[in-house]
Amino acid sequence: MSEAASTFNAIETPAAASAPRGLFSWVATVDHKRIGILYLLTTLVFFVMGGVEALLMRIQLARPNNTFLSPDAFDQLFTMHGTTMIFLVVMPTLIGLANYLVPLMIGARDMAFPRLNALSFWLLPCGGLLLHFSLLAGGAPAVGWFSYAPLSETPYATTSGVDYWTLSLLILGVGSVAASINLIATILTQRAPGLTIRRLPLFVWMIFINSFLVILALPALNAAIVMLFIDRHLGTHFFAPANGGSAVLWQHFFWSFGHPEVYIMALPAFGIISEVVPVFARRPIFGYEFVAASTVAIALLSFGVWAHHMFAVGLGHPVDLFFAATSMMIAVPTGIKVFAWSATMWGGAIRLTTAMLFAVAFLIQFTIGGLSGITFAVVPIDWQVTGTYYLVAHFHYVLFGGTFFAVFAGLYYWFPKITGRMLSERLGKLNFWMALIGFNTAFFVQHFLGLMGMARRIYTYPDLPGWGLLNMISTIGAFLLGASVLILLWNIIVSLRHGKPAGDNPWQAWTLEWATTSPPPAQNFDRVPPIRSRRPLWDLAHPENPDPIVGGATARDGFVLEKNRVGIVSFLITESVFFLMLILAYLYYNNHDMNGPTPTSMLNPQRTGIYTLCLLASSFTIWLAVKKLERKKHSAFRWLLMLTILLGAVFIIGQGREYLRIFHEGVMVNSNLFATTFFTLTGFHGLHVCIGIIALLILMALAFAGDFKQGRIEAVKSIGLYWHFVDAVWLVVFSVIYLKLLL
Amino acid sequence: MTTEQFFISAWNWNPWVIAICVATILIYAARNHFRLSQKFGWLLAGIIIFFLTLASPIDALADGYLFSAHMLQHLLLLLIIPPLILLSLTPAPVPQNFQTGCWRWLNWILRHPVANWFLGVGGMWLWHAPMLCNAAVSNAWIHRLQYVSLLLMGGAFWWPILSPWKKQRIAPLAGMIYLFSACLGCTVLGIIITFSPVEVCSIYLHPVDRLGILPLIQNQWGLTPAKDQQLGGLLMWVPACLIYFCGIFGLFARWHGEVRDEVIIPDSQPKNLFTEKSHGH
Repeated sequence: MSEAASTFNAIETPAAASAPRGLFSWVATVDHKRIGILYLLTTLVFFVMGGVEALLMRIQLARPNNTFLSPDAFDQLFTMHGTTMIFLVVMPTLIGLANYLVPLMIGARDMAFPRLNALSFWLLPCGGLLLHFSLLAGGAPAVGWFSYAPLSETPYATTSGVDYWTLSLLILGVGSVAASINLIATILTQRAPGLTIRRLPLFVWMIFINSFLVILALPALNAAIVMLFIDRHLGTHFFAPANGGSAVLWQHFFWSFGHPEVYIMALPAFGIISEVVPVFARRPIFGYEFVAASTVAIALLSFGVWAHHMFAVGLGHPVDLFFAATSMMIAVPTGIKVFAWSATMWGGAIRLTTAMLFAVAFLIQFTIGGLSGITFAVVPIDWQVTGTYYLVAHFHYVLFGGTFFAVFAGLYYWFPKITGRMLSERLGKLNFWMALIGFNTAFFVQHFLGLMGMARRIYTYPDLPGWGLLNMISTIGAFLLGASVLILLWNIIVSLRHGKPAGDNPWQAWTLEWATTSPPPAQNFDRVPPIRSRRPLWDLAHPENPDPIVGGATARDGFVLEKNRVGIVSFLITESVFFLMLILAYLYYNNHDMNGPTPTSMLNPQRTGIYTLCLLASSFTIWLAVKKLERKKHSAFRWLLMLTILLGAVFIIGQGREYLRIFHEGVMVNSNLFATTFFTLTGFHGLHVCIGIIALLILMALAFAGDFKQGRIEAVKSIGLYWHFVDAVWLVVFSVIYLKLLL
Repeated sequence: MTTEQFFISAWNWNPWVIAICVATILIYAARNHFRLSQKFGWLLAGIIIFFLTLASPIDALADGYLFSAHMLQHLLLLLIIPPLILLSLTPAPVPQNFQTGCWRWLNWILRHPVANWFLGVGGMWLWHAPMLCNAAVSNAWIHRLQYVSLLLMGGAFWWPILSPWKKQRIAPLAGMIYLFSACLGCTVLGIIITFSPVEVCSIYLHPVDRLGILPLIQNQWGLTPAKDQQLGGLLMWVPACLIYFCGIFGLFARWHGEVRDEVIIPDSQPKNLFTEKSHGH
């Protein structure tokens, strides 16, 4: 403890890294700190690219009837700008920050699954490159970041841009989900002794809740994207109205992901603000419990408001009414947060560092964005201004004025920890004021342009009174904002070389990441200070006046979890949502008569029923196998494993035969909507069974090699759980597709 | 008939409902020596809502006229009344015969959150299978069975969250996942009902106009069968989830309000009802 206490005054030059050096050591790293830095650097590159795209658009829009860009180039630019900023910048930046900070803030050595962590990161550059490769392959996608069908279908989007868009988003989606599963497992199982859930720093708590949002929302997008991809490449009809598909279904699927996504981009930013504001106001956060609970409220409500993106579709008055109400409701927990941050500053000894300036600007700008957001919950206003620059202004106030300003605050706050050197405050203040003025100049006027009726996504506009002037102002603001980013880059480069050494805790902050050296050693901590409250370093520095102990002296939560189990359960949750989407699509399209093949004419429920029994029996055998392994009966375990594989194989063969029978009737996946949904749903399930069989085969090989004699039973249990899940999904699929025919 | 006349005249003074309400209140009050307490307030709220569900014009509307009114009843019986009743219970000593016979079975169910979850969410799905939904409206006995089963399944569902015995409750984080997944379960059903072009409960398509209020409903209120079903689906989708969310916030408040974290030794068996007995005596 004395060691840690002494770190408060000692300011040393950053220790020379003892970790392996060279470029390859960065490629091969599984250290969460290096992966976090890689995330941040990669997103910085994409941030500059997305910014340049935005500036090109602003040049085009600076004057009426401008011809700087062709309409097609403009379409490509706004699609790439949106996609890049959301999927390649905001999400990975926040995940990268979480990656770097969460293990440090909870006193852990690393993430729960370091290699999965490396995979999640490397999927990011892969996805990014794939998306930008479309530029060389005939043109970038030009359908907007939400790729509305049928515009994104083959007849209307003829280049391969949308194909690269789907593939890239799928890869990025998998990466984000993997990172979130990792964060959930880390936060639940790797906390230092004494750090109960109720004592978590708010940043960690918000990342925790946010990770659930990611694993629940992203699979909805993935499922929709898979369907779009199948539509484009196998000629199916999910979203193609010409053959009975529904373009509205795409909107439902997309926004059921898209609205939670808004909060996926906001919650971690709230977390950053909840760390920065108290430290620079020198007061503990006001109403910790309320901030924590309102995070849960926002996360929950975010799943119930997506239809407010679709008021203009014409879903009917009852639907509009309910979603208007829930959309307004979400303002309550958000408002609670704003009040909590303001109350934290009230009467505090505020230090206006660059980080704090960005945080304060966040508060104001995010509130403006939130207020204009509430106006969209009023259905008639939404009808009036949706698709105009009023909307563009609104979400830029939320995402740039909100999230990005929070990220800048976080960057100025944690840069000393990450690099061991302070960012220059002089350049920082310049950076801040230029960003503040540039941002508000660029986007505030867009509210007026939108109310005047200027439509977004149109490459130019007529010379109406005031439009040219306001657009010119907006463009000037955008360039000022761009310049502020250059100053930030300059600040980073200069400070990396000549910045003031930071010491362990330059801001006298209170959370655990400041208890170790800057930059932290490979193992993060030599020893973790005792944790009895939410501000362990305050308690350490002020033993005469410690924070009240949170949750008694027990120092433990009422549960103990194992990381593999948490990991596999989170994975299965995300898989369930994926299947849920496929099942909903099947139900949606098969509740009325259609031409061509139908379930009644094509399927034989009795025969499939027998194969279903085989699959269910395999669930029993794997359960028994795990039991045997627990009792160390290895040979019985192997036999049961083999039996499970056999039963799984019988099921797959049965399904294959059914496919062949249907093919013989001349029915293909593109025959009609029944065939489309049937093959997609059962095909994806079959794929999961095959993956399960492969996993079981690997288990068997390991079992014969004697691998489970010394334990590692968790691996077997995880695969067992996955297998049960595959069987349970089939039970639902069987009920939905076949059981109806028997009744 | 005007709206006002309808809401005045359509009360159903069913003697059974009144008897159950009065008896429950009297028994509860007698056992607690007629003391007014917060718990008594919960009970009173539960009984009043129970009475309104079964005796007010909602019941008349649900009886063959409006699917959405039926859905409202359904939600009140499954999601509002049982938790209010559970909140009113005090952790009384458990009777001796709890470990024998069917009590044992009940005890098993109450100790398994997965079983409770399926009872709660399954109850919702089950009674909206078109066949059962129609049967419940056309047959009075099935209708009563539906009421009772919804109350019981609701009770089972809320037990792991609101059980009067602390040891039978699940951990707060697990409870949040329990409630959220239930919300997803009813969201899916709500979505299907809202957007399904097929009638879920075809009996509401052509109501027998016993009370002469069909013109009032369809013309004045503008509730055509299609809109009615959409409204019913939305009730299940949005307000039902908000009730679960309230449960989650309640859990959160209880968790953060606790002075001490409950520490359970990790490898101990889940506590069952009879361990509680020793505390009771």
